[in-house]
Amino acid sequence: MQSDNIKIVIATLGLEAHWRGASTVAQILREFGVEVVYIGNAFPEEIIEIAIQEDVSIVGVSSLSGGHLTLGSDLIYLARKENIKDKVVFIIGGVFPPNEYNELMNLGFDGVFGPGATGEEIYNFIRKAVTAKLADSTGNSIA
Amino acid sequence: MNQGKTTKQMIIEGLKSQRDRPVYNADTINKISREFEEWKNSAVSIENRKHYDITPHLLLGTDLPRGLVYSPIDIKFLDYGEDLGFPGKHPYTRGIHSNMYRGRKFTIRQLAGFAGPEDTNERIKFLLDNGATGVNIVFDIPTIQEYDSDSPIARGQVGMGGVAVDSVNDMELLFKDVPIDKMSVSLVTHYPTNTAILFAMYLVMAERRGVPWEKLRGSVQNDMVMEEVVRGGLEFIPPRECFRTQCDNISFIRTHVPKWNCITLNGYNLREAGTSVVTETSVAMANAIETLKDLVERGHSVEWIAERISFFWDASNDFFVEIARLRAARRLWYRIMKYRFAADNDKAMLMRCHVQTSGLSLTSEEPMNNIVRAAYQALAAVLGGTQSLHVSSFDEAYSVPTEAASLVSLRTQQIIQEETAISAVVDPLGGSFYIESLTDELEKKILDEIDEIEKMGGIVEAINEGWLHKRITEYAHHENRMKEKSAIKIVAHNYHNLDGTTAAIDVFRYRSGVEERQRQKIERLKQQRDNAAVKKGVQRLKEACLKHENILPYCIEASRADATEGEIAQVFRETFGLWHPPVHW
Repeated sequence: MQSDNIKIVIATLGLEAHWRGASTVAQILREFGVEVVYIGNAFPEEIIEIAIQEDVSIVGVSSLSGGHLTLGSDLIYLARKENIKDKVVFIIGGVFPPNEYNELMNLGFDGVFGPGATGEEIYNFIRKAVTAKLADSTGNSIA
Repeated sequence: MNQGKTTKQMIIEGLKSQRDRPVYNADTINKISREFEEWKNSAVSIENRKHYDITPHLLLGTDLPRGLVYSPIDIKFLDYGEDLGFPGKHPYTRGIHSNMYRGRKFTIRQLAGFAGPEDTNERIKFLLDNGATGVNIVFDIPTIQEYDSDSPIARGQVGMGGVAVDSVNDMELLFKDVPIDKMSVSLVTHYPTNTAILFAMYLVMAERRGVPWEKLRGSVQNDMVMEEVVRGGLEFIPPRECFRTQCDNISFIRTHVPKWNCITLNGYNLREAGTSVVTETSVAMANAIETLKDLVERGHSVEWIAERISFFWDASNDFFVEIARLRAARRLWYRIMKYRFAADNDKAMLMRCHVQTSGLSLTSEEPMNNIVRAAYQALAAVLGGTQSLHVSSFDEAYSVPTEAASLVSLRTQQIIQEETAISAVVDPLGGSFYIESLTDELEKKILDEIDEIEKMGGIVEAINEGWLHKRITEYAHHENRMKEKSAIKIVAHNYHNLDGTTAAIDVFRYRSGVEERQRQKIERLKQQRDNAAVKKGVQRLKEACLKHENILPYCIEASRADATEGEIAQVFRETFGLWHPPVHW
């Protein structure tokens, strides 16, 4: 398994009470060799703070109870403010109405994953996205 | 434990002398066994013989091996009176009422809850107008997690996934013009601490409307497993204090609100978080056992408390297992009450339950298929003899259900009730070799796991030590792996799936402005109420928490003074302290 030194912080967003999804994704990614920092429930401020401290390449958040748009937009806003949006990949998983997948992408998430997403899909996505971001932020063109 | 014996030991000892009415005699079984061998070796193909037992892998499944066919050999020790009996009679395997659905149809109890209390009030009336016979109120995330709508922590989550309730005023708006003295109301409070707050508000609401507490019928969940294990959250009180709160609630509610079910042991959410039907049932029952022990120590009669205990189960995809589990749970609960607690009041021995069809089994791909899934699950619940039912809606892999989707769920129940004649005969599958064999096996496995929990020192200790967290994580992870390699088949998701299809369904849209409206109401409330009375109420609650007095009367007092949910919850966090759940991942 190739990790390419990917490091992710995984959180359940805000007061979200469901933790199965976040914990399952954390386990899958760890098996793929990704270094996982699992922090449980956290608000955008804390997530961004830990992302910076831990120098992660990805932030993954989970939301199933409707807080995705508001807290999701706070998260992206803070990421831009702290100048990590261009370096770090942001993904969100959970239960979202179909029309809001696009809204989440428009907010600035790099990837949105619904209940049907597989571990492999998520892993392949983040590997590509991390490489692309790295190339972008260092000014290299994507091969 | 009583004389150092576990529940399992007491049941085994108790049953020894009782089994004197075998359905099959030894000669008959010997003869059938010979015929079976002959059949297997001649009529069954080599391939089928080699794989005579197969193990179906299903979502939220239990991995029980199944034979090709079942016969009396699989239930050779069946004792009719001791194992089945007639419905409404010991050991209640066949149902808790003699006439079951002929006498009383199962209650159609659909969940309702979104946005503000004013909005949910409309949905309650819509469901009642269309034939629902009970309501089931689900709260939004900040309310469930015990923060007020105006807390910075609640921002962006108010009215999502359930209804926002901050004070007694909201409770009044929620039940405006709903006949709470004539119908049963289920408050999906989940945790002991929010039960202590939200039910206190419900009681004060009834008081303000002039409805005596004795007339109120319904249920709360009040389950520590929900608070300490199943949920994620920011702050947790220690398991011991959570268990105490659960028992405080029961003691008070049973005494002062006699028709109310003071605890609903919630297997459902535990199962959905990731566990088998066996763990779902064993954990709920182990909690019930420990709870009864505690209340007996407080001086209550075990029968009197047990009469108002109810259970909440999941109905997932393993059709016959779901049916057999309800039967096994009824029989086992009877045996626990009889042999562990020496109860002799019939009403105290009934495993009464509500069933909800599995939300986890619903797919976002081709969501209309979910109507079919939920209908089979609902059918299993009815064939298993549930008392009330919620059918999850087809759009729930996207959002809380629309009115139209809720209506389909309601209709699913009415179709089973009125168009299929399923309710005409009690326990229609009773006596099936397969069903009886599954019932036996599940009962045994559940009891074995209760034994495992008791040997760890009981459910509170098992939670404290992280046993249950670990079990869930391992199960969920294993299940996910099976799903990803399509060993668990899910139609249109990982099996027979069409690439690139997206759903074209209407989904629920949250109403805007709810957070602002809640915020304004709290602001107004805090200006108008007697803040000195609130302060006093909060102080008295603090003392009760520290002095180990029952906390519920003090929550009621604080609610009467219009304290908010967040204000009361803060007392618990301060006085009980915080605990870090041993989450594994």
